[in-house]
Amino acid sequence: MNTEELIPHFEEMKKVLNGKIDDDQLRKELDTYLNAYHVTIEAAKRGIMRKYGVGDTSSFVTANTISKKVGDLKGNEMNVDITAKTVYVDKKEITVRGNQKIIISGIIGDETGTAPFTIWEGENVELEKGEIYLFKNAYTKKWNDRVQINLGSRGKIEPIKDIKIDVTEKTITIDSQDMKIGDIHDGVGNVTVSGRIISVEARNIIVKEEPKVVYSGIIADNSGKIQFSAWNDYGLKEGESICVKNAYIRAWRGIPQLNLGDKCEVSRIDDSFGQIDATASKKTVADIIKIGGGLDISVTGTVVDLRTGSGLIKRCPECNRSVLNDQCTTHGQITPVLDLRMKLVIDDGTGAISAIVNCEDTTKLTGITLEAAKGLAQAKGEIEVVGRDMAPLIIMKKITVTGNVMSDDYGPMMIVKSANIEKTDVIAEAEKLYNDVEAAL
Amino acid sequence: MNARETAWRLFSSELNTATHEIKGTDEKSPSYVVTHLGAMVNRVLVAGVLTEKENVGSEDEPMWRGRIQDLASGNFFINIGRYQPEAAKAIADIDAPEFVAVIGKVKTYTTEDERVFVSIRPERIIKITEEIRMQWILDAAKSTWIRLNQMKKATAIEDVSEKDLITAGFDQKYAQGITTALDQYGIPNSTTYLKTIQTALRTILPDKNIDLGLPEDMSQVPDEIDIEPGATAQNNSDLEDTILNLLEELDTDGKGAPRDELERRAETAGISSMELEEISNILMDKGLVYEPNLRYLKRI
Repeated sequence: MNTEELIPHFEEMKKVLNGKIDDDQLRKELDTYLNAYHVTIEAAKRGIMRKYGVGDTSSFVTANTISKKVGDLKGNEMNVDITAKTVYVDKKEITVRGNQKIIISGIIGDETGTAPFTIWEGENVELEKGEIYLFKNAYTKKWNDRVQINLGSRGKIEPIKDIKIDVTEKTITIDSQDMKIGDIHDGVGNVTVSGRIISVEARNIIVKEEPKVVYSGIIADNSGKIQFSAWNDYGLKEGESICVKNAYIRAWRGIPQLNLGDKCEVSRIDDSFGQIDATASKKTVADIIKIGGGLDISVTGTVVDLRTGSGLIKRCPECNRSVLNDQCTTHGQITPVLDLRMKLVIDDGTGAISAIVNCEDTTKLTGITLEAAKGLAQAKGEIEVVGRDMAPLIIMKKITVTGNVMSDDYGPMMIVKSANIEKTDVIAEAEKLYNDVEAAL
Repeated sequence: MNARETAWRLFSSELNTATHEIKGTDEKSPSYVVTHLGAMVNRVLVAGVLTEKENVGSEDEPMWRGRIQDLASGNFFINIGRYQPEAAKAIADIDAPEFVAVIGKVKTYTTEDERVFVSIRPERIIKITEEIRMQWILDAAKSTWIRLNQMKKATAIEDVSEKDLITAGFDQKYAQGITTALDQYGIPNSTTYLKTIQTALRTILPDKNIDLGLPEDMSQVPDEIDIEPGATAQNNSDLEDTILNLLEELDTDGKGAPRDELERRAETAGISSMELEEISNILMDKGLVYEPNLRYLKRI
């Protein structure tokens, strides 16, 4: 920490220490804590307070905790007291490792800012919206660049009377950030985006027993495309370009979706997107892991594994689900239909993605047709042989796959719409690398 | 999210010199071998020539060992046991020599004399064409070049921390890898990796006169050292004398000769660090030197 950054802390401490030590001594203490022992500024302050006996009486140090304003939270506080007003409160039941648990989440704020909070032991806690509370012994974390306040088992909630807090204006409408469509991922909060409407249709749905019309479709800019749902009629038409302010993002299985809710403003803008590649946006696996999922994504990588369930498989003729033996979990005893597919693991050096390839593309990539596979299975008296024979034909092949991507706990997965073997000109690329290296030396 | 670990494309020169491992704390958190260029490697994708294979287990329960040469003089070591059933089945049908690719997990083991070796447990081993082999060499060279540049970028920051790197746009894992590598090994010698890239380019473009203007005589790290007592005895005793003299010269305060200083001096005398290791072991066996502690070597 340099001298300039230290000044506010120095001044703050000087005030609290109230002449107990002189400036030089304080400077020396801080230097020892921060530069010789590399502890955090919080720990340094605490240590010095303790040493000079002002710990318990101090205005901003209570026992081990420091009080902070919401706007001053860094997202790495281990133990902090926050006095703030609840802007929004929600109590819900969640399942943690098989156990039911009640948590309270919401947003609190003061005149310096707002932040989401979670009370992890919410069983016996009641919070009212718009009331002021002291969040004692809280800890904070950073998620998606926003500070989150957490109250664990050590935490305490105390209602505070007799003080008034005006929550800052900007917090009530949570900051809406300008984003490129291709960068949108689950958890970004409110966004402002511009794009061209690729398609739109009206759908009749039932919300809370009331019939409602939603307008949903796809909107794109030159970084990517996203599904949207407009909950009001903005008269959206295919082909027009719009700017959407204050839309919110909800994700379904990792695929983010843009929602135009009540607070959303839509304006028509000049189309500056030129040729939007309506087919697919090219991404690395690392990009995909970051955004979680999306529509029509293309990725190029090397096939590093062929998972079980690949090759010749049996499907239920009713529901098309793959079945083991001749039993469908929904339709009981069936006469299965045979199909060909691959469950690939593709790795591009930045990460790995699963990809499910249909019959047609499986034949295209491996040369094995459904008929040939059936013949082979019959000759060997088992169907697993097809997957085994297929592995050496596809592993280590460099391919490009395009499709919709979603994510779960095991990472991203693509349902492949099209797949192609990638042809690289090794000689030309090696020459390019040679030139790059030589130029850099 | 338990996303599958990336398969790193790297050459044996980078993988085999890695000695530091970050152990997973529980079943779910994976272990990583950290290379000098800051790659946190759990899984690799490598290719080359399977030059030998041997079943060191039994007919019923095979344990395969093999050696795959990636570039001239570099080798990956593979071990396939009962927990790699796909690979065990596949290697039984591959005869050396053959172009192969391996996707697998890296494991380290430490010998009694504290040397660390890296081997690969293949999940998959398959025959490939020479074309795919060249493609892999290109990919590995490109990826080495990228890591070299990222390392350069990182070392340009004074006293670089994980946080600095994340601010500079590195992802968390890569930032951790680079700072760990710098802590464990110091700033890497870029010539080593440029030489590897040069060898790779020469392999792909044999007719083009590839020359990056690097010192040609830099000692290649030998992959294994078999000092046979008879054959090289003469040479060895010369080297032993050189080292003994150096020990005496560097022992200025009676504590012994500092190892890092000894390594530097030995290298100028044309003795690589691995040779030095070997010679000091011989000298210790002979009772001529001892280690007062890990950082020093002292003549008796």
